[in-house]
Amino acid sequence: MATLALYSNKGGVGKTAAAVNLSYLAAQAGAKTLICDLDPQSSTTYYFRVKHRLKSQAKGFIKGRKHLYKSIKGTDYENLDLLPADFSLRNLDATFAKLRRSKQQLRKILKPFKNQYDLIILDCPVTISILAENILNAVDYTLVPLIPTTLSVRTHRQLLSFCKKNNYKTGKIYTFFSMVDRHKKMHHDLIRSVSKEFDGVLQSYIPYLAQIERMGIYREPVVAFAPTSAASKSYQNLWDKVQKTILSPEKRK
Amino acid sequence: MRNNLKFNLPDGYKEQQLIRELADQYAIKKEPAISENFAIYDTFDWRLFNKSLVLYRSGNKLFLRKLAKSEIIHTIEITSLPVFIWDFPDGKLKKQLEPIIKMRTLLKLVEVHCRSKTYRILNQDGKTVTRLVYEKILPSREKYAPALAAHLWLKPVKGYPKYSQNLAKRFEETGFTISKKEDIYFKVLDVVDKKPGSYSAKLNIQLDPDMRSDDATKVILHFLLQIMRINEASIEKDLDTEFLHDFRVAIRRTRSALGQIKDVFPMGTTNRFKKDFAFVGELSNQLRDLDVYLLKEDTYKAMLPPVLQKDIDPLFEYLRQKRSRALKNVLKGLKSKKYGKILHDWEAFLNEPRKDSDTAANAKLPVIYLARKRIYMKYQGVVKAGNLIIENTEDEMLHVLRIQCKKLRYLMEFFSSLFPLKKINVLIEQLKKLQGNLGDFNDLCVQEDYLFNITRELPATHQQLKKTLVAIGSLIGTLDRERKTVKDAFAKTFTDFVSSKNQGLFRELFTLKP
Repeated sequence: MATLALYSNKGGVGKTAAAVNLSYLAAQAGAKTLICDLDPQSSTTYYFRVKHRLKSQAKGFIKGRKHLYKSIKGTDYENLDLLPADFSLRNLDATFAKLRRSKQQLRKILKPFKNQYDLIILDCPVTISILAENILNAVDYTLVPLIPTTLSVRTHRQLLSFCKKNNYKTGKIYTFFSMVDRHKKMHHDLIRSVSKEFDGVLQSYIPYLAQIERMGIYREPVVAFAPTSAASKSYQNLWDKVQKTILSPEKRK
Repeated sequence: MRNNLKFNLPDGYKEQQLIRELADQYAIKKEPAISENFAIYDTFDWRLFNKSLVLYRSGNKLFLRKLAKSEIIHTIEITSLPVFIWDFPDGKLKKQLEPIIKMRTLLKLVEVHCRSKTYRILNQDGKTVTRLVYEKILPSREKYAPALAAHLWLKPVKGYPKYSQNLAKRFEETGFTISKKEDIYFKVLDVVDKKPGSYSAKLNIQLDPDMRSDDATKVILHFLLQIMRINEASIEKDLDTEFLHDFRVAIRRTRSALGQIKDVFPMGTTNRFKKDFAFVGELSNQLRDLDVYLLKEDTYKAMLPPVLQKDIDPLFEYLRQKRSRALKNVLKGLKSKKYGKILHDWEAFLNEPRKDSDTAANAKLPVIYLARKRIYMKYQGVVKAGNLIIENTEDEMLHVLRIQCKKLRYLMEFFSSLFPLKKINVLIEQLKKLQGNLGDFNDLCVQEDYLFNITRELPATHQQLKKTLVAIGSLIGTLDRERKTVKDAFAKTFTDFVSSKNQGLFRELFTLKP
């Protein structure tokens, strides 16, 4: 069992696309997989054609267990289940803050699912507040998509220094490059320098491709509707790296 | 409804007709048809089947499911087929299979062909809410091969129960029958004429209490001969160590039966075959010893301090070389004229009609009397020997007691069908515990000696070997400490065995009531 968050404190970096495609690939490889859409924008839920509605909304989410279990939907793919998003999750931060052990709430909510799935992937909203701390406490590993631009790299530095300050293990944070434009020299340069600066950089690039954006039209993972496309190959490559570098049994000991 | 349901279509009702009818009410998306082979695996002695498990491969994936259930317990991707448990990638599948298949190799039982078409039932968002899979199992890829089975699977999707409930109701109303329990596994194995569970090295002999003792003994010996024959053929293939092991146990039991079921055959015959089977057993002593040490490789390494773990490798390398020579010798022995003649004469003896002219003393005795007498005498011998050891524990005496117990155990197993099953099994279990202690003690003694002696054989040529000797020394030390622990546990184990409850049960089952 492993839990992996697709997380970034910067928006529009390709978290959801990565979460959707990685969860699909994990399920195809035989792992019983649950993808949790924590983002009230509910893009993941939309991609899987599921209604963005949780039974008894955010209240049910916080109560967890059977309240939450009832909301889980099977996707169109074997081995892959989805916990849909709900608009009421927009207040999750405030709700967590009011509770005791406010930073451990998500961990508590996910615990009962750990026995039922081989892999749980969280698609997280942009946040660096109490919800972010809940995520860091709840998962085994965090995977951050990084666009090779100065701002994106700067935000990542912010995250790492936040983690250090608050005693979260930065060794469990991995990154990969997302929305890479091969024609831009700056992207090339940053990829090189960033790989040296940060630990845990997976040598895997998701290019900036129209095919990935078409996921919104097809409402399917790109790996499912265009399995031989360049986009699919890049996600396949990312999944291989995630398996070998993050999830392999030796690594997990 | 959470589980998949399997339906049989009524005769003459075609799958296309069904889909046409459903299309009036539902949006349906047809997936590309899948056509692939799948192969089922198990060990030679059906270890997975005995645990109601089915292991099968399709494409580059390996699946484990429960017999008569369709839900997959574990799936893994494989690049090549694992043959032994240590070939499996670490994970849940390996963890579950390890204690079951242990050192046995996985054999392909059968390979069949499966053609399946999946129809997805969609809701207004185009989301799959239930799946229908029409599946045909064929003996081969051939286009016109007659199907072994054809089913329609109704597979609910979590979170959308209504759709599958409605469909299930509709199917039942249309006259589809739910096919329960009959697992395709049996049908598929039947194609290649394999009977699940047909081989087991465990004694399964049905005797009648009134049978003549010589006839009953022949039934037992015949069963053992079959086990020898079945395994002997596979020893040459060297697929795993257990073919030889089962073969040897059958020989040992044969020798024990000849020695312990006294005076049922003419003395000359008994003596001749006792000697013959001693010879047959000896043929493979060395090979079996080496198998045991090589199987213990990981256990031994785990006993060593980490710094020495690698240093022991040359020992196992040496043992492996020695084993390949030993195997050659065994195969030569099994092909020899002498061996051929022994088995041939033995089979002829077991099959020949009885001659009443030269009957031995116990030949005509109803077997139940002989069984009771022999078991009870042996039991008394064990109790007496054990009590002596309690007073004065000598290694040599523990060894003698171990042999006595083994003989008693074999007798009880040969004749178990003559006694109330539950009661005799209780006693066999109790005896097993005592045997476990004595067996461990003996194994440790033998292993210490063996390792000590092997140091003289190892070619002392280079520096590395000195380290190996240190590692062996350390291993002997650990084994010796364990041996003392086992020895200390003997008194308690034996006292448990001779508890008044067990004694009473032995008396009840095996003494003649006045």
